[in-house]
Amino acid sequence: MSLSVDDNLQSELAAMGASGTWHWDIAGDRLHADHKFAELYGLDPETALAGVSPQIFFSAIHPDDRPRIRIAVAAILAGAETFSKEFRVIAPDGQILWVHGRGQCHLDAVDEPVRFTGLLVDVTERKRTEDRLRIAQTAGRVGTFEYVDGFATASVSDTFCRLLGLHPAPALPSQTINGVLRGGEEPLIPGPYAGEAPGTLNGTFQIVRNDDGEHRWIERRGEIVREGNSYRLIGVIYDVTHAKMLEAQLRELNDNLEARVAAEVASRQSVEDALRQAQKMEAVGQLTGGVAHDFNNLLMAISSSLDLLRKRVGDDPQVVRLIDNALAGTKRGAALTQRMLAFARRQDLVSEIIAIPQLVEGMLDLMRRTLGPSWPVEVDFPRDLPPVVGDANQIEMAILNLAVNARDAMPGGGTILVASNCEHIDIASSELAPGSYLKLSVIDTGFGMDEDTLARAVEPFFTTKGVGKGTGLGLSMIHGLAQQLGGTFTLESRAGEGTTASLWLPAATAAEEQSDRPSDDGCDAPTQLHKLKILAVDDDSLILMNTSALLEDLGHTVFEASSGDEALALFAANSDIDVIVTDHAMPGMTGAELAEQIDEIRSNVPLILATGYGELPPGFRSGAVKLGKPFSQKALADALSQAMATA
Amino acid sequence: MIPIDVSLSELERDALTEIVNIGVSRAASNLRKMIGDQVFLSVPAIEVVSQTRAARLITEREVSDLVAVRQDFTGAFAGRALLIFPEENSLDLVRAVAGSELSADEVIEIEQEALAETGNVILNSCLATMANMLKRSLSMSIPQVVRGTGASLFAAEEQGTEEGLVLFLYIDFAVRSRDIRGYIAMIMDLPSLAILKGLLEDFITRVVGDDLP
Amino acid sequence: MPAKVMIVDDSKLARIVAGKALAELQPDWTKVEAASAAEAMERLEEGPADVALIDFNMSETDGLELAAKLRVLYPDMPIAIITANIQDEIIARAREIGAAFVPKPVTADGLEAFISGAALTLRSQRA
Repeated sequence: MSLSVDDNLQSELAAMGASGTWHWDIAGDRLHADHKFAELYGLDPETALAGVSPQIFFSAIHPDDRPRIRIAVAAILAGAETFSKEFRVIAPDGQILWVHGRGQCHLDAVDEPVRFTGLLVDVTERKRTEDRLRIAQTAGRVGTFEYVDGFATASVSDTFCRLLGLHPAPALPSQTINGVLRGGEEPLIPGPYAGEAPGTLNGTFQIVRNDDGEHRWIERRGEIVREGNSYRLIGVIYDVTHAKMLEAQLRELNDNLEARVAAEVASRQSVEDALRQAQKMEAVGQLTGGVAHDFNNLLMAISSSLDLLRKRVGDDPQVVRLIDNALAGTKRGAALTQRMLAFARRQDLVSEIIAIPQLVEGMLDLMRRTLGPSWPVEVDFPRDLPPVVGDANQIEMAILNLAVNARDAMPGGGTILVASNCEHIDIASSELAPGSYLKLSVIDTGFGMDEDTLARAVEPFFTTKGVGKGTGLGLSMIHGLAQQLGGTFTLESRAGEGTTASLWLPAATAAEEQSDRPSDDGCDAPTQLHKLKILAVDDDSLILMNTSALLEDLGHTVFEASSGDEALALFAANSDIDVIVTDHAMPGMTGAELAEQIDEIRSNVPLILATGYGELPPGFRSGAVKLGKPFSQKALADALSQAMATA
Repeated sequence: MIPIDVSLSELERDALTEIVNIGVSRAASNLRKMIGDQVFLSVPAIEVVSQTRAARLITEREVSDLVAVRQDFTGAFAGRALLIFPEENSLDLVRAVAGSELSADEVIEIEQEALAETGNVILNSCLATMANMLKRSLSMSIPQVVRGTGASLFAAEEQGTEEGLVLFLYIDFAVRSRDIRGYIAMIMDLPSLAILKGLLEDFITRVVGDDLP
Repeated sequence: MPAKVMIVDDSKLARIVAGKALAELQPDWTKVEAASAAEAMERLEEGPADVALIDFNMSETDGLELAAKLRVLYPDMPIAIITANIQDEIIARAREIGAAFVPKPVTADGLEAFISGAALTLRSQRA
């Protein structure tokens, strides 16, 4: 027997953990087996080593596995090269073991099989582990792969194929596997010319499943086993689409959060900008108010002086005309300061009867010049429009403001229509009491406002114009004005369809119309009063001098005081003072404060408070007569009459 | 829809796999001799599918055009055997078989013939082994090289004949360090498949004998 | 004592491979190639060959038919059928004609037994 070499080999194999080895002599039709094989099969070791019938090979194999092993062995005997089968062996004690039989067919020079040798390894433990692994992989939907570099295909599990939507196969071309990738990524399995091993097998891939075209996320994990110059990749893949979707949702939420925070920050920023703008405008207003006040005093000195001068120059018509011109100039200057004061919100509303058509007519020229040639202004007023009660200056301002808005809504130019009609409200609303109203509308055909913008349009500080272009106070001020006059302000607009801004002003009643007779505030003869002793108070010596001159011209006796303290001293020293004419805005003690102090000394002394400002301290005593600066001699005389009448 | 009478039992499938395996072993050994490089062949996966499905199976795996060596066989059962590989592999295979010393022009010149010869060796290995194992003889035609898509390779040729079934053997053969892979497919009509099934039963009876379940 | 070998194969590549294996075994021997049975007959008319290596799978006349013809013409000529078609039936038919069987692809190892046998036969014929 030439088995001695094989004997040694078989001992070595046995020592390495083989559960038995065999040597099937095909030509001699004998099966030789080592003592472990004999032990497993319940054979006598000596007999087994010497040789038994090859059919013994199948004797211990589990009946269920026997047919398939017989077929495999038949294939080996017919020339198949390798035998690698797992099957169950029933040991002599009845125990069932899983073994892995691995064998090789040795061929002669003309490819005729000569012998079939191999070994059995007990894989019962591994088989159980594998079963658990297989179940875990199937249950966990984990696909496995193995790739040896340089090859065009990779060994894969069925689950692997199913995860990619490919027909299950034990091996797939790298090209096929990578074909499901959405592209741009590194390959899932390297191709044959990939060269270097990838740095890691850990990665996430986006795929389009081959069978149903679904987009999925696939996670790859595994190990890179280096074998000399080449490498082997062993790994798993699993679907992480669900986790990715959750992640994406979370990220979206986070992104939204950022966006929401950004929007909030932007909105705060815009409020801050608006506030800063408002503060700036407030400062400008203060400044304007101060300048206007001083300017008003100057105008008053000039107009009073002109009044007196006119009386004394006699009848020279040329001189009278010059003086009248100068007086007209001071009146226009006074109107200008009124506007400046209105801008600075320091002016009381004047209630007067206004015919809107005439008012608009009178400001058309101003409007056209303000708006520019690309925005022609048209007016549409029906006949018999009732007059309204209000402040002409303020209404003019409002109309001008609305016209400017209308222009800004039509950057390419367009007609601005100023129209009016009479509306009757029968049922009270939150905005309007029942009655007749004149609805004055400024209509453009510009880009209009969406609902959101429309809803916020009259909020203070809301502006669609850039910072520095608008105060954001325009519409809110107009709204306030309309409400103050007993009306309201409405906006009708749709995005892309223009805007109609309407001031609703109460129509004047007949009584109001009667009481308001336009009067000439020129220089008619003053109302005659008996000679009075008057205390004139003003911190501005120019004004004081001027007021004194006017009063003296009326035949009164005047005591001059340039401060509240001085006035109190004079008043205390002259108990026969009939009336006091005082400026309100004075440093140290205001006119109002002075009045209180006067009351302490002697109550109900007639008092005229001259002021260019609208505001009077609340609870200011009712007996005082208010006199707007600048005042004419007649206005002063009227105020005196009024004051003396209340005394 | 595959009729019941030609669907293979587990054991028949096992037997066919082993038989093909022998052929594949020979083919691998032959290819090794021709190429002089390691050739790996997968254990054949066997499926009986319609020609349409076979075309889809191959198209799913191979996006490019294909080259096939075709050999018809007649005898106890008849059909057509195909050795299929991606067209881009064609010249690589020729170079592997004919030797790397050939110039590019020479490779192209003998491409057709080298492919036919390679197909001849591999398909003959498989078919002859099947014939021997099943104890029947088969006559093989001269190999032909055809090119086309998966669909055209599996298209039924004769009009009016019902679509044949394909004994689809996935055998991936991969040649180390070369991007070469391929498949072997056998197209048989229903009567042939029924005969094959009968022969497989005989084979099993012969080999398994009393151990038949 | 060089011999002349006729290689019949419709594949040029196969003829090259067979020629290489032959040259490895018997560098002195000359060879004549034919791509079909008809061409083989023509070559033989030009001059006789000592040994024939014939591919089985050829169109028109197959290798076994050609071998049978040659056997009639040259009863003592060593003839081998070369084929990858290793069917038992083919091998049996080759034996009937008195032709050896050499599996394809041809290698020096695979061809050696036949060539050394042929060398012996030729030597005894010429002795």
